[in-house]
Amino acid sequence: MRELGAEIARDYAGREPILVGSLKASFVFLADLSRAMPIPHALDFVELAGYGSAQMGGHEQIRVLKDLDADILDRDVLVVEDVIDTGLTLNYLVRTFELRRPRSIAAVTLLDRPYRRLVDDLPVRYVGFVVPDELFVGYGFDLDERWRQLPDLRLLRLDARAD
Amino acid sequence: MGLDTPVFQVYRGTEPPRFASQAELECAKVLDYYGVPWLYEPTTFVLEEDGDGRVAEAFSPDFYLPDQDLYVEITVMKQSLVTRKNRKLRKLRERYPEVKIKLFYKRDLERLAQHFHLDLAS
Repeated sequence: MRELGAEIARDYAGREPILVGSLKASFVFLADLSRAMPIPHALDFVELAGYGSAQMGGHEQIRVLKDLDADILDRDVLVVEDVIDTGLTLNYLVRTFELRRPRSIAAVTLLDRPYRRLVDDLPVRYVGFVVPDELFVGYGFDLDERWRQLPDLRLLRLDARAD
Repeated sequence: MGLDTPVFQVYRGTEPPRFASQAELECAKVLDYYGVPWLYEPTTFVLEEDGDGRVAEAFSPDFYLPDQDLYVEITVMKQSLVTRKNRKLRKLRERYPEVKIKLFYKRDLERLAQHFHLDLAS
């Protein structure tokens, strides 16, 4: 975390970036990352709707449940992700934020699975760990909204509970 | 098969897609949900010809994402049982090295479904 924070602080020195966390899983990572960054910066959050129950004949599309509070025009935006997998979520966020004409957009992720990308050409500039294709809980990660509160990341085996 | 299909927003085909499985339909819903343009089985790749030049083996990947120039093949079989499909992918990659294709296993689809609260047929 210190390494990531120091690297980001070097790259964004003098620019007062805005860190945007995607609720909910990234909140713990964002809190720790923010405290490891010794430069002035802002914090904000977005929340995207879950798929929900699509009606037959209708359609469901991704939508923003909670939008940014800040105006990101001419701001340096750093999207903070818990994990980047297929890249679909980050792709949507980047495309949405680009419409608001920030000065720059990049992403930092705690965990990365680059081998699972469906969308390439994403501005993933900082990566904590490249991880195998396993389920993690704790440190903000959940399974059915459980286990987020665990203080560290744990591998979840679906045939056993992570007590 | 009469799968009830929703109205897709970013489907780029000219004819309505006729999915062969519930898993393909759910994958299409996920792509559409994220606004990622897609086509269903737009291309058939010849993998092998016989001695007379007739097609002996061919493969039509399930999805093509034009913005990514990427084909995606869905399989809901257990990972240990996808040998035949992996062999087809290997042949495709050997014969068409410029073609990008990824295999999405049952677990990948379940992971996406869990994340987005999709109900997958078992």
